[in-house]
Amino acid sequence: MHMKTLLLSTALAASMATGAVAPATADDVLRIGASLPITGNFSINGLKHKQGYELCVSIINERGGIHGREVELIVSDNRSDPATAIAQYERFINVDGVEAVFGTFSSKLSFPLANVLARNGMLHPLPAGGALRIYRQGHDNIFYFQPNAAEYVGATLEGLIEDLIPEGERPQSAAVVHADDFFANAVSDGLLGNEVRNPSDGSLVENMAPGFIASAGMELVYTETWPEEGFNDWLRLANSIKRSGAQMIIALTSSAEEATQITRALETVQADPRLIYLSQGTQAEFHEGVGAASDGIIIHTSWHEDAPFDSVLGGQPFTNGDFVDAFSAAYGHAPDEDSAIPFAVCQGVEQAMLGTGGTDNAAMGEWLGARTQDDPVETVLGSFSWDETGLPENKPFLMTQWQNDGELNFIYPTDAFDGVADMQFPRSGF
Amino acid sequence: MADIIQLTILGLALGGVFALMGSGLSLVFGVMRVVNLAHPALIIAGAYATYWGWRLLGVDPVLMMPFSAALLAVVGIVIYKVFFEKDAASAKYSDLTVLMAFAVAMIVEGALGGMFTNTQRVTSPSYATEAIFIGEIFIPKGQLIAGIISMTIIGSLGLFLKFSRTGYAIRATTQNREAAELLGVNLRFIALLSFAIGIALAGCAGSLVSFVFNFFPAKHWEWIAIMMSLVVLGGMGSILGTVVGALLLSVLASYVGAAAGATWSTMVFFVALFLVLLVRPQGLFGDKSELAS
Repeated sequence: MHMKTLLLSTALAASMATGAVAPATADDVLRIGASLPITGNFSINGLKHKQGYELCVSIINERGGIHGREVELIVSDNRSDPATAIAQYERFINVDGVEAVFGTFSSKLSFPLANVLARNGMLHPLPAGGALRIYRQGHDNIFYFQPNAAEYVGATLEGLIEDLIPEGERPQSAAVVHADDFFANAVSDGLLGNEVRNPSDGSLVENMAPGFIASAGMELVYTETWPEEGFNDWLRLANSIKRSGAQMIIALTSSAEEATQITRALETVQADPRLIYLSQGTQAEFHEGVGAASDGIIIHTSWHEDAPFDSVLGGQPFTNGDFVDAFSAAYGHAPDEDSAIPFAVCQGVEQAMLGTGGTDNAAMGEWLGARTQDDPVETVLGSFSWDETGLPENKPFLMTQWQNDGELNFIYPTDAFDGVADMQFPRSGF
Repeated sequence: MADIIQLTILGLALGGVFALMGSGLSLVFGVMRVVNLAHPALIIAGAYATYWGWRLLGVDPVLMMPFSAALLAVVGIVIYKVFFEKDAASAKYSDLTVLMAFAVAMIVEGALGGMFTNTQRVTSPSYATEAIFIGEIFIPKGQLIAGIISMTIIGSLGLFLKFSRTGYAIRATTQNREAAELLGVNLRFIALLSFAIGIALAGCAGSLVSFVFNFFPAKHWEWIAIMMSLVVLGGMGSILGTVVGALLLSVLASYVGAAAGATWSTMVFFVALFLVLLVRPQGLFGDKSELAS
């Protein structure tokens, strides 16, 4: 009897105590959904995006949440499949009742998703999806958290050549090879001066003529496209590039995996260009895969750990260095841009919620659209304000170069911030 | 002429690796009528075993091959016991095993992703990015080594099947299960052994693949169609056919890639798969395969 009374008392006390420190109810939780390619072709980038989002949300919650509400991040694996990504975002909105979403990785997934989120009246903050076509569909809910559309990567590359290489030493010829991928095709269109067309109705989006290869004074001596999936013939491709005699090799890969494959193949055939530029390869896995062969390779990036960007998170100052420290502590290794970019997306959404005092997506879109260079969103990628299409204003790509067998050094633009390394040119061969 | 020689060399080099990747799949189908869609996922498991031996202990990927093969053979026995043994007597065994093998592939991919993340890996012994240059021609050392080892392993397997008592039993089972059982062959043991050998071959292939291709858990989806096309072209169950199919299609893909661009080289495998199924479903060696001869 005494035992029963004791148990009952204990249970009652426990239930009362629980009531006193009740966990957040459903209404107190602010749900945000993100569908990411955690498996499939984009899994390397997708997993890192997940880490970036999760770290940001955990820090926000440590700092008291948003409007005093705990943030719950719902992440689903879309297996790198656009249809699955769309279905998962529909579920976030219509079943899970999320109040906001974070964008997914890659232009391939983001392009069809843009229509779905616009139709549902959701803010669409994009971590990755640089193809110009995404931003010319007339949506006003879309905001890109990287420097510029992929078609304009070549502009920074052209600037690098003109500013850092003496006139008589600049490469005179180029080989441009690329994956048949939404993003890689976009970069290629800019370099080769192609017309960019909307795939849904064939309408002209932008005519990139004459292209950045031509405007940099180079002759195109070789170009080839490889399929998006299942390509294994890297040595044959590398040998064709070598035999073209191109002084500059531009390989536009859709993933770090492809960047590793093409670099190893170029090393095997002993290609010896004066300059190599890849569209992917800032990841630590790239250096692990190719070793010292990475030396001299130039890659554009949206983020660098040495960039002295100040931002805010959870209403408090949060520097780029804080991000590197927090990420390293959470995951045991340093971050790269694939985690920094989604972290910036999360910061932007948080600032929009704080700026509007709520989670109304239309209001958040208006608030983000009203940002200016003097009153921007502040993230670990630096400041953001956007034009009417959702592309950032006045934000050039950062150019990095692998040096000294493992250092990814920032080399251009030279006036972006302190700590710029000298570009190694010409490459010293594999 | 130099171009044709170069393209042929590159095709043969790649085909040698594909041949080993497909031979285990072919053996398992020949003996057990199991279309093991999980085979490429198990190759990736072997590649991971090799990678960590190379990364943590500095062991050359080629030297890791026996360990990888033994490890995967054990894994193969477990998979067989859990997933494939129970329904072996079913008239619809092959149909059932397609679905089960698909499930196994998903489980293996998930397990590898959970253990090692989806980060890409590759081993980098010096020979992986070296080549032998003869005038205008180059021979990639990594693929040359992989191809020679592949052919040695497949040749040894062929000798084992042709001349050993157990090999007789395996071949007899491939030809006619009922007759083999009437003659005293222990079908359960032969099936288990064949599956273990087939998966051990996946382990060997994984070691070689680890320095030829990048890999991550989901990579196997890219390989299954290629491997199926090799096996179907050669004749399901014929290891010799798989080798011939791998070399033939890889060389053809190399020519097509050079002539029409890389986009079309990958198509060679799929076009071959459709054509063979339409014109000669039994494949090149389907009616008098190496195993059945």
